Amino acid sequence: MTQLGELRDAYPKFVEAGVKLYAVSYDDPEALSAFAAANDIPYPLLSDSDSAVIRQFGILNTEVEPHEAPFYGIPFPGTYVLDADGTVIDKHFPRHLANRESAEIILESALGKTVVNDSEPTASASDGEIQITARLHGGGGTIKSGILRRVIVRFELPNDLHIYGDKVADGMVSTKITVSGPEGLVIKAPLYPETQPLRLKNLDKEFEVWSGAVEISIPVWANSYLVDVLDEHRARTVPIVVQVRYQACNANTCLLPRTEVLTLDVPIEPLDVPNLEGLGFSAQRVTPMDSQEHLARLLKRFT
Amino acid sequence: MTRRGYEDEYGIFAPLPTTAGVRKLAPKGFSTGPAIGAHLPDFELIDQHNMRLRLHTDRGNEKAAVVFFRSAVW
Repeated sequence: MTQLGELRDAYPKFVEAGVKLYAVSYDDPEALSAFAAANDIPYPLLSDSDSAVIRQFGILNTEVEPHEAPFYGIPFPGTYVLDADGTVIDKHFPRHLANRESAEIILESALGKTVVNDSEPTASASDGEIQITARLHGGGGTIKSGILRRVIVRFELPNDLHIYGDKVADGMVSTKITVSGPEGLVIKAPLYPETQPLRLKNLDKEFEVWSGAVEISIPVWANSYLVDVLDEHRARTVPIVVQVRYQACNANTCLLPRTEVLTLDVPIEPLDVPNLEGLGFSAQRVTPMDSQEHLARLLKRFT
Repeated sequence: MTRRGYEDEYGIFAPLPTTAGVRKLAPKGFSTGPAIGAHLPDFELIDQHNMRLRLHTDRGNEKAAVVFFRSAVW
């Protein structure tokens, strides 16, 4: 539900980029019609009410037992990204039930490149000619319970300089990114781009390095504890601290190792939840559609 | 504390117990359907305007994202 709203907010970017968007569920057309009207959904919501396509694709959620009304028939949530020929060029199927990919990341899968958004929280440092920028990418730079975002650390290195991957010479420093945040920020392992081999003649050894523009991405998401600060402390932003440790060298000499600490001030947004009795949790925004009658029809399928 | 419901091992609170199928993590190596590099099978479904929509016909020659979500109702 939250993801559908994020896709709506990012929809103009999909249109601009020439990427079509479709969303499929086991809901009936009547429920989808009410949801689309109440939430201004501009893209097709498709009704697979007997879960035929979900089964055909092999993505029926097998953790839900057939007797578990009204949930049986849902898919493992995920996204396929198609090229112009209809070939799957990427897909996103997170394991955790609460995780969804950010709309921007889905769009970028289709485009094969990162789309910079000026509204995203950023922090930067420079060390001589080296520029380092951290930003919170996805959801327009906000954080919401469950939705995967990326902390992206970008190095811009002058032509002759490189920084090191894991393999470094004795006494040298490899590049290390450490992200920390408040309770409830779940931080995953960094995703590093491929390194290039570099042979240093005077040491007769080969190292793995990056040069030019280097982007390291760290997936993060918020669980219920983090989003609760909206209610408990009336906080509207949380700090995410990015520590960057690196050493830059050219073919002959190295600069001293450096540590930069960049702090991102990240806005938190509530989760969108259905308008159903008993679901009024903290830090949530109730969807402007009364779900009761639609839920009754879903339940009727099981009788 | 306004938080209610049942907490899972990842700190997500929700109304149903964590033993309910909808609250379980997808099993390791779960099926994610058509593979990267494969042609996505075509399908025809009804949209929110009660119109039939055939995916690859509607898409024409454009790239696309096809999102499978759980429900717009709950």
